[in-house]
Formats: sequence, C-alpha cells, structure tokens
Amino acid sequence: MQLKNVIESPCGLRFMLDGLDLQSGFARRWLLDTEMMTSEIEIVDSYDVLRKFVDFVRSIEPSFLNTLLFKLQGVKDIRTTVKNLRQQSTLDDIELFEVKHLAILSTEVVKLLKEHNIDKAIKIPMLDEVITILDPDGMKIATFYIYDSYCEQLKDLRIQMRKNPSQQDELLIEAAEIEDGVRRDLTQKLHSHVDDIERALIALAKIDISVAKARQMVEQELCFPSISNDGSSCYTALFHPQVKDALIRAGKKFQPVNISFAYWPTLITGANMGGKTVVLKTLTLCQYLFQFGFGIPASEASIAIKDEIMFCIGDEQSIERGLSSFAAEMKNIDAVIKASRENRRILALIDEPARTTNPTEGTALVQALLKVLSTKHMSLVMTTHYDIEPGTAHCLRVKGFDNGSMNYSLVEVAGGEVPQEALNVAQSLGIDPEWIGLARSELEMTK
Amino acid sequence: MRTITILRQTIMLAVPFINDILNYDSLSIVGLQKNTGKTECLKYVLARLPLERKSVAVTSIGIDGETTDQVTRTQKPEIVLREGMYFGTSEAHYRQRRLVSELIDVSDENTSLGRVVTARALTQGKILLSGPSSTLGLKRWMRDTRRHNIDLAIIDGALSRLSLASPAVSQSMILATGAAYSINMSQLVQRTAFVVDLINIGVTSERNLALLAPLESGMWWIDTDGVLHEMEAVTSLAQQVEFHGMDRCSTIYLAGALVDSFLEKVRKNKQLRQVELVVRDFTKIFVTPQQLRLFEKVGGRIRVLQKSKLIAVTVNPTSPSGYVLDSEALCDKLTQAINLPVYDLLKN
Repeated sequence: MQLKNVIESPCGLRFMLDGLDLQSGFARRWLLDTEMMTSEIEIVDSYDVLRKFVDFVRSIEPSFLNTLLFKLQGVKDIRTTVKNLRQQSTLDDIELFEVKHLAILSTEVVKLLKEHNIDKAIKIPMLDEVITILDPDGMKIATFYIYDSYCEQLKDLRIQMRKNPSQQDELLIEAAEIEDGVRRDLTQKLHSHVDDIERALIALAKIDISVAKARQMVEQELCFPSISNDGSSCYTALFHPQVKDALIRAGKKFQPVNISFAYWPTLITGANMGGKTVVLKTLTLCQYLFQFGFGIPASEASIAIKDEIMFCIGDEQSIERGLSSFAAEMKNIDAVIKASRENRRILALIDEPARTTNPTEGTALVQALLKVLSTKHMSLVMTTHYDIEPGTAHCLRVKGFDNGSMNYSLVEVAGGEVPQEALNVAQSLGIDPEWIGLARSELEMTK
Repeated sequence: MRTITILRQTIMLAVPFINDILNYDSLSIVGLQKNTGKTECLKYVLARLPLERKSVAVTSIGIDGETTDQVTRTQKPEIVLREGMYFGTSEAHYRQRRLVSELIDVSDENTSLGRVVTARALTQGKILLSGPSSTLGLKRWMRDTRRHNIDLAIIDGALSRLSLASPAVSQSMILATGAAYSINMSQLVQRTAFVVDLINIGVTSERNLALLAPLESGMWWIDTDGVLHEMEAVTSLAQQVEFHGMDRCSTIYLAGALVDSFLEKVRKNKQLRQVELVVRDFTKIFVTPQQLRLFEKVGGRIRVLQKSKLIAVTVNPTSPSGYVLDSEALCDKLTQAINLPVYDLLKN
C-alpha cells in the first residue's frame, strides 16, 4: 500500500500532504511512492530520524533554513539518467550535467547539515570523485560542457574555431567525434559510482521530506506517538487538523477529545452534529499518519500497528459502478468482514452503517454486524444512531448538549443507550418550528 | 568607403533603439504575422547588444500549433549567437546546436521537444530556439535567468492565439509588422496601429491589481466598495452571461479572453456603463476596433494587469508572395499613426 493509493481517503490525508512544504517535485513523487510501514523497527527508525529533524528545525535560524530549502529546491528527478548510467549507455551533455549538478548539490547539503550535526541522520554518500571526474578544472560550479582540458586535440580545434568562424561547421564535426569519445570515457568512469549517485539522490529527497514533516509538526503542534504493543490505541486531546483549521478561520475553536480503543469493538453513539464522524475521520487519519511516519494531531498518542486500515464512511455512492449508497456501503462492510477472517491486524472504522435503509432492518443489520465482528480479533470503531445491544463492545457517547452548546467529549457508558437529541439539535439550527413542534407531539403519542 | 557610410548609418539608427532596450531587464520581440521580419529583428538586436555591459539570455516561446516546425525540425530559423550569450532552448534543439556551449541549468519545464535547458555560448555559432511553452514556464525561465545574474532576457515571441505563453510578461517589447500582415498600406497601418493601441492600454489601479493578480481563472467583478465577487457564468464566450445584481459594479475582470460578444453585452447593459474591464494583458483581447470604439463611447474602458513598454515597431515591406510596399512611405505613415519610431531593418 503506497501513500498515493490512500491520499484521497475521505479522512483528510490530502490536507496533511498539501500542507507539507516540500521543495522538489522529486521529493513529492518519492513520498507518494513510499510504502505504508507495518514493522515496528521501521516505524521506530523513521520517528528517530524525524525527532532529530524536529530538534534541528527548532534550533536553526530562519535564514539558515531558507538556505537549506533553496538548495533542496534544486534537486531534480534524474532517475532516468541514473538508469542509463547503470546500463552504461553513454550519457549526453545534459545527463552529465545532471549528475554533476546532483554531486555538487549533495556536497553542499552535507556541508550545511554538518554545521548542525545532523548529517548522520540521513546519510548522503560523498560524491567527491564524481565531482572530480566532471569538473576537471576544479571550478566547483554546477555547469557542464565537454571541457577543453579533457583532450588536447579538442582544445586545439576550439582555438581554431574562434580564429576561423567560417570553418566552424567542419571543425564542429571533427570536434563532435572527439567529444563522443570523451563522453564514453566519462560514462565508464562514473559507472563505478552509480550506487552512490542513486543513494545521494534518494537521501536528498528524504531530507526534504523530513524537514517538511518536522516543520509541519512544529507548526501544527503534532506529537510523536509511542508504539503500543498490546493492540490498543490511546489518544489524548485528539484533533483533526483540517477541521481545526476551518474552525479557526471561522473564528471558532476545535474541542479536542480523548479516545482509546482495543482489539474489540468500540461503539460510539451520540447526538447529530456531535462530531462522531470527525472522530472516525481523525482516527483513520492518525493511523495513516503513524504508518507513514508523520506527526500525530494529539497531545499524546500510543498507537498499535495495523496491516490494513478500512474506513467506511457510508455516504459514498458509486455512480461508475452503478451502485446506490446502500449497495456501496454493503460492499465496503462486506470487505471488512472478509478481511477480518484473515489472520491480519485490521483497523475498521465504520460510520453509521445501514443508515440509509428502514430502521427496523437497519437495526438488525447493525446488531448482527457487531455480533459477527465481535468474535474476530480486530479493532473496530463504529458509530450508530440505532438502539442496539452492545454485548462485549466498549461503549462511548458524545456528551452532547450541555448548557445550550455542544460538548464533543466522549464519555464511557455502560450500555448502548441512544441519546434522543435530534429534535433539540434541529431546534438549535432554527429549523421550522411547526415541523419540529409536530414531531415532538408525535413522540409524545408513541411514548 | 561605401561600407563605412552604410556602417555609420546603421550605427546611427541602431544606437537609440539598442540603448532603449538596455533600460529594461526583459524584452520580447513579437511579429504580427509570420514573415513580418521578427527573426530579422531578433538577429539585428542580438548582433548589436553591448555584451561587455550586459549579460544577455535569449529564448523563444514554443508554439504548440506550429507543427511543421516541429516535424521538420529545421524549418525554424537558426539564430546566430555571439560568444558569451546565454540561451534557453529545448533538449532536442540543444543536441543540434552548432556552437560550443556550457550548460548552466536544466529546468523541469517540459515541451514537446523535451525539457528547456539554459546554456552559455563559448564560441559564436548557430542554435535553434524553442523555449517554454506556457506563460508560467516563461516567467520561471525569466526568474531563473536572474538567478544566474543575467541582466537582460530576450524572448522571441509570437502573437498568436495558438501560443500559450504570453510575451506580455516582459518589461519591454518590439513589434514586427509588414506586408505579410496586409499588402494594402493604409489597412496595414490601421491594423498595426490598433495592435499598438492595445499594447499601450494602461495598467489598472494598485488596488485592483492586488485583488485581481492572483486570480488564474474565471470571471470576477468588484463593487464600488472594493469587494471582489465571482461571476456565475463559466466563460466569457458564453452567450448566457448575465449581470445579475451587479448594479454597483465598478470593475469586471476576465482571466480568459475578451471577445466582441462580451464587450457588446457589457455595453448594452445600462448599469454597466462606465465600467472598467480588466484583462491579464493585451494578448487576451480579441475584439474588433469598431466594438472597442463603441464600448469606449458609452464610457467604458479597458485596463490590463500587465503591460510591456513598446520600444519600437519594425516593418518588413515585402510580402511572402513578393509584393513590395514603399518602405519609406510605410515608415512615415506608421510613425504618424502610432507616434513611435518605426524601422525597416532589412533596408539598412
């Protein structure tokens, strides 16, 4: 599972990626191609590196950061050139330029990072020999042509060219043959450094990504998670960065929530507009951020590693597949059940299943789903408005209306009691009083 | 002796023209039509710029529509560069260069002929130019040239609906016109003068500029309180454009093209009389002189976000079919019509 496969997940991952200030298109492509980490060692290592970059970002002057970012902007995707070099097909001037440019750039970046002792966090191989090969005059600037000093004869031809412009075309043809020989020779010499060149290219992308992630952590006040080994995840003061951002823009505040879940079902009930869906989105987002090595939007987090993250938000119609919202939802949940039968670590987040059908059958479907998934060793967080028997599920409820305003915090409740606050919420929205009033009398009658 | 006289005449003619260019950090040379002598003008400028005083880079705006050039690849004229000049061209054309040059940059800018590379000529020689094919790419190339301490960027431009890159991003401009545009002299003068009028359209107010410059697409309007609103229609070409609730409109901005039908609609709407119509630059204006006059008559005016200083107009009196206009008469008439120096470069 690569990052690019999940970037459009409705949990808001794209917002986090768009907020990353990456300097080169190559770094962005490299990031999108990274695989989701599922081993503890990988995740620990990646956070160790990120921790060093956070310290680095916090300690440096803005002008130093700008110098580094400016250098990283110069990184180009030269993987095709590296591939050609690996196959020993003679590089042309543009490709040789690219290699030299990379070599000089990586040396400069190493020098900058060394000043702050962070050059070891992501190691860039030294390309001094590559520079020597492509900079025979020792100019140390990132420009390139087939230099006169590569060949005495070439030098003579060029002197003649300048003297006799009228013979330039013939002289150029003569020189072209010599230049081709030089290019073959240079390609041979560079070939033994191809691994280092490739490693340097990737290291520069990783540095770009790490600096961007570190800056995002500082700016958005994200935290480093610890890795949970007992299969349970626990978040303190969890927030959704995109929703928080939108609220701040509207002059409002995001109320963070605390939540934990283990490898059995957790059921969230609560009023409409109580933030249940946002909780599910945030949990999904955090799981991805964790396994792609980003900061976590919470003040503290302990997260269990999963092999698969399944987010069923329910209201996705699939027009291309010709499925109604109900059918699309059933298919998605079906995939969760199938996956739960395999021996993998799964986190499933299901938002109000069967909400679009009649409440009688809907309740039966949800009740049965909970029973089916309760027997599986998986993490499940599900929201519902239906009145169902929770069984072994861990039950949470949105606190709801509290002194006239919504309290989004989650409280533990014993059973699956479903709060009846829809009418209050509707009233607070200023919905037509005749409608709401009649609904209240309907309710009275059924009691 | 005769050579010396010609040389002196050339210098006398060239000096003001070339010196004017040196006041700006970018110049585009645009032709009103093919064969109006744009390339001659570029060659003329390149041959005379004092390289000891200014470092110069030259590129061409790639035109996606000009397939013949790209298929035959040699049809496009080769430009002679002097030692020390910088140039931006595509990878394909760089490989066909007929000079010794040093690469200084390979951009991410892709064209149908590969990426745009920038290099410095180490000997004099010939090169095919084909640069960035979008306005954004051109701007980036110009910014990069400054990064390499180049004083003057010259763009071999095109005034064509097919060109995606606008030459109006340059600070200054030279316009090439000629018999290829029209073999009827008074028509040629009239049509050229109209384009000159468009190039000389003024820049909108600072306040509008701040509001409108970031808008990449769509149609917008500003009310009398200076508040920006988006218009509902999809394009300015749409016949369905309605101006609902725009009675307090002071400015309309079109990110795309301005065409006759839109101008007419604005003119016929009573609440929009005396409105200021803003477009990005003059290359976005595709209206007839007649519609423009009518629009201005009811009190409307057109403004741009970006304007180039027109330095001079050059003429090529010879049409591709071989018809030749009287060069002197043409220069005189045009000078009178546009109040700017006009040169026949081939004659000199």
